[in-house]
Amino acid sequence: MGSLFRSETMCLAQLFLQSGTAYECLSALGEKGLVQFRDLNQNVSSFQRKFVGEVKRCEELERILAYLVQEITRADIPLPEGDASPPAPPLKQVLEMQEQLQKLEVELREVTKNKEKLRKNLLELIEYTHMLRVTRTFVKRNVEFEPTYEEFPALENDSLLDYSSMQRLGAKLGFVSGLISQGKVEAFEKMLWRVCKGYTILTYAELDEPLEDPETGEVIKWYVFLISFWGEQIGYKVKKICDCYHCHIYPYPNTAEERREIQEGLNTRIQDLYTVLHKTEDYLRQVLCKAAESVYSRVIQVKKMKAIYHMLNMCSFDVTNKCLIAEVWCPEADLHALRCALEEGSRESGATIPSFMNIIPTKETPPTLIRTNKFTEGFQNIVDAYGVGSYREVNPALFTIVTFPFLFAVMFGDFGHGFVMFLFALLLVLNENHPRLSQSQEIMRMFFNGRYILLLMGLFSVYTGLIYNDCFSKSVNLFGSGWNVSAMYGAAHAPSERKKMVLWNDSVVRHNRVLQLDPSIPGVFRGPYPLGIDPIWNLATNRLTFLNSFKMKMSVILGIIHMTFGVILGIFNHLHFRKKFNIYLVSIPELLFMLCIFGHLIFMIVYKWLLYSAETSRVAPSILIEFINMFLFPTSETNGLYPGQEHVQRLLLVVTALSVPVLFLGKPLFLLWLHNGRSCFGVSRSGYTLVRKDSEEEVSLLGSQDIEEGNHQMEDGCREVTCEEFNFGEILMTQVIHSIEYCLGCISNTASYLRLWALSLAHAQLSDVLWAMLMRVGLRVDTTYGVLLLLPVIALFAVLTIFILLIMEGLSAFLHAIRLHWIDIKNSCGGTQGMFRRPKVPNDKNKSN
Amino acid sequence: MLEGAELYFNVDHGYLEGLVRGCKAGLLTERDYVNLVQCETLEDLKIHLQTTDYGNFLANQTNPLTVSKIDTEMRKKLCSEFEYFRNHSLEPLSTFFTYMTCSYMIDNVILLMNGALQKKSVKEILVKCHPLGRFTEMEAVNIAETPSDLFNAVLIETPLAPFFQDCMSENILDELNIELLRNKLYKFEADRRAFIITLNSFGTELSKEERETLFPTCGKLHPEGLRLLAQAEDFEQMKRVAEHYGVYKPLFEAVGDGSGGKTLEDVFYEHEVQMNVLAFNRQFHYGVFYAYTKLKEQEMRNIVWIAECISQRHRTKINNYIPIL
Repeated sequence: MGSLFRSETMCLAQLFLQSGTAYECLSALGEKGLVQFRDLNQNVSSFQRKFVGEVKRCEELERILAYLVQEITRADIPLPEGDASPPAPPLKQVLEMQEQLQKLEVELREVTKNKEKLRKNLLELIEYTHMLRVTRTFVKRNVEFEPTYEEFPALENDSLLDYSSMQRLGAKLGFVSGLISQGKVEAFEKMLWRVCKGYTILTYAELDEPLEDPETGEVIKWYVFLISFWGEQIGYKVKKICDCYHCHIYPYPNTAEERREIQEGLNTRIQDLYTVLHKTEDYLRQVLCKAAESVYSRVIQVKKMKAIYHMLNMCSFDVTNKCLIAEVWCPEADLHALRCALEEGSRESGATIPSFMNIIPTKETPPTLIRTNKFTEGFQNIVDAYGVGSYREVNPALFTIVTFPFLFAVMFGDFGHGFVMFLFALLLVLNENHPRLSQSQEIMRMFFNGRYILLLMGLFSVYTGLIYNDCFSKSVNLFGSGWNVSAMYGAAHAPSERKKMVLWNDSVVRHNRVLQLDPSIPGVFRGPYPLGIDPIWNLATNRLTFLNSFKMKMSVILGIIHMTFGVILGIFNHLHFRKKFNIYLVSIPELLFMLCIFGHLIFMIVYKWLLYSAETSRVAPSILIEFINMFLFPTSETNGLYPGQEHVQRLLLVVTALSVPVLFLGKPLFLLWLHNGRSCFGVSRSGYTLVRKDSEEEVSLLGSQDIEEGNHQMEDGCREVTCEEFNFGEILMTQVIHSIEYCLGCISNTASYLRLWALSLAHAQLSDVLWAMLMRVGLRVDTTYGVLLLLPVIALFAVLTIFILLIMEGLSAFLHAIRLHWIDIKNSCGGTQGMFRRPKVPNDKNKSN
Repeated sequence: MLEGAELYFNVDHGYLEGLVRGCKAGLLTERDYVNLVQCETLEDLKIHLQTTDYGNFLANQTNPLTVSKIDTEMRKKLCSEFEYFRNHSLEPLSTFFTYMTCSYMIDNVILLMNGALQKKSVKEILVKCHPLGRFTEMEAVNIAETPSDLFNAVLIETPLAPFFQDCMSENILDELNIELLRNKLYKFEADRRAFIITLNSFGTELSKEERETLFPTCGKLHPEGLRLLAQAEDFEQMKRVAEHYGVYKPLFEAVGDGSGGKTLEDVFYEHEVQMNVLAFNRQFHYGVFYAYTKLKEQEMRNIVWIAECISQRHRTKINNYIPIL
């Protein structure tokens, strides 16, 4: 059964790392991903740990790298994602790398700063030109539409505001102009009016093209405004308000010539700036391109380095301060590789004293490690979704590989659909090395990760489809039906026999809409169809009744078998953990409870199938009634399935009733008895265990799975296990809850397995409906147009088949299969505990956890 | 609230309440404080804060780290949390949030007015303003020369308008008047403020009558206690007034006598923290949002205190932070 049946045996190892070589050793270990570290400094706060300085340095490097990546992506330079994962950098290179990165950062920051400055400058100039352009129309309008501007009679119809005429008046007319972002205009106008009490004129117009905000870099709509005011005090206030609303203010030219001059000057400056900006950007791009080459591997390297220091922070120092002691969980099978990695690490760093390891016995429960390959991984994930088994527990994933696709197929049974699914999965499996697939997006990725599950599900569906004889809702007549219609006419029968039978003749066939074949007439039923269901049922009107009875019974049988199997897996666990009493006091009562009730039901179903034939079917008792009578003890006699059935049923009921109190009280009472000192039988047993546990090796192997057992040997004083006190009430409560759950679960879960029937029925009906609604319509049209019509009909049929029947129905069957496995897994698994975590897997994603 | 409003509370505010409770669970624990106090440098402090809910909020800060950088970043973080709450809230909770910002806005306005008096540039003071109390018109505060100006031009559009409406006079704005204005505005945390005003007025030229006008006219002390407080001349007399009130008696008893003991302010802070923590014991009310903001503020004050002690190498008083229970 190998490693998938139980999780790997683990051992706790102590690594003695020479302080000079610790980094290299850990790097070598991390590349292999062999061990899980234990934190030996749990009560030391993070900043007081030994390698906090190095971690800080890594963080600094990370910060620089993040900055680089941000700049690179902003410049739209593709990041080359190297497939290879470079090892952590040797210590000697770290300093060099740091210097390089820092230099790069400084350079980059300077160039970007320059660029930003230029850009801002450019934007401002552009804004200025826009402002000049727009405000020119303001002034004209002012003049044209407000000719009776009382304060300034001199304005009349002059084409431009004449500044000198204003001075003549002795007043100083001032202008403030600039740009303001769209959202602030209203508030700005209000505030202006309130503060200046109307001594200003504000004109504004929306700028037709949105511009970038030089400060935030956002592209927004702007308004150009022009405030004309009179007097210095007000001007002062206006400027303050402009500041407050973050307006961009530009000097307002007073005369037309000035305006033109400014405009020309601006144009040339903008031209200049463009060229300079271009050059800067080119240079920046060059720098970034160069940085982009190595940045990806650098990021991984730094991450690895940081992970190494985090692990080193978990190590403790020995007294001489010369070597670090790490405690790790390691699978026993990998111990050799661990030693090799240590040697390699020591050799690389050229240390004089090699680092070495030492296995230490422990009573703690090791983490669970189940090695998977690409085939078993998907199934293991399904099981892990319900919880990770504790150390060395039976791993239900192994059986899930078969049961999961099988239960799915029972619900999905249709070999046409199954075959399509199989082909799709096969396509994925054959192209699994294709880079596009493994990097695909969410939904596709889900299919890709579950490709082997899909493959098996497809195959099993083909099988169940053959059994159901369903192919896109049609049956296939491969071997020739076992029913013969012509025999119903009865020409071949002897006249004496004819009287007893209801035979067909022309008038019967003509006048009856529904005709029934009678299997008891010789020659009509010629024995069962070799594989699955006879295709003639596809034509029968009572097909559903027949299939329902068959599928319902089948799902109950499968369900009981599956649940029983779960309990049996639990027995494997108890055997392995040497808790025999659990078998006698928990598992066997559980089995008895289930089998006495539902096992008997199965027996009745099978018995009835075998015993009654076409001739005797009319006297066959109903299983449902029989089953109900089993609990009700009816006064009136019924003719049972077999003689003495009543007594057998009573016996079974008594056994069921007896197993319940055992289930409820057995284990807690037994534990209590153990706790209060055993009888002479127990003493001899504890003596035996004492001898056994003297061997330290054994202790380490046993781990703490039998802590509970060890608990009762505390008085022997041979183990210093730290475990909680014996609490009878708690144990009783747990057991009672567990038992109630189990007993109720037996009944409700059996009902729950009926979903096998319900879903397979739904699937068959849905595909039937699809056929009837689409294909039949297409096939019934006469030949000339039929061909034309069939083409779109088939296309639609294919699309609907894929989306509704394959994907939607498949998904629902998948979910139901998952639900049914929960029962099985729950029955077999005990508690769940921590999973083995590979500390430094070379892949950058799952590092350090 | 309407009758049976608890029934519908979760429809509108359940998400935010859950969120705020989650945030409250992320406040620093006693263990965190013990660790923080042990820090040798601000870098250590940063590393430890990284292991808490603060995460790497200082990651983008270039060296060297200063207390003010930590403070700004923490405020930014609180502010972003608050903004998130506010943006996802429905009426009337959103109005509640607006009211919560009012006290910060008042503080900012007062700060700006003081700054304008001392002829400091707006930019300089803007940095010091609390981000929760930011509003657009804020920077125009220094345009105003008289309080009525201030009100009519700047504050009328803000949520502060109804509060300022009643306490605007035509006085010239000087420092004392601003202080008086502030105290007139603060109508919340009334009792504490009354005590603090009294304490601060000892030894100043503030007359007893003037002092009485500053007291808020609500709270447990109103009106008897306030009259007595107005007559108090030293701390002992104040204490005697407080002894009439069951809530404040133990607080005044906890105050140390000048040398090394706790100050009255600290005691009040502790009491406030306790009340805020108690706010989380009941469900379906808006108080948790207020309480969370206040607790977070206290936590920030604690961190800043510890950081200051560390950076100034003044470790004797480092334990004077107020732990959040």
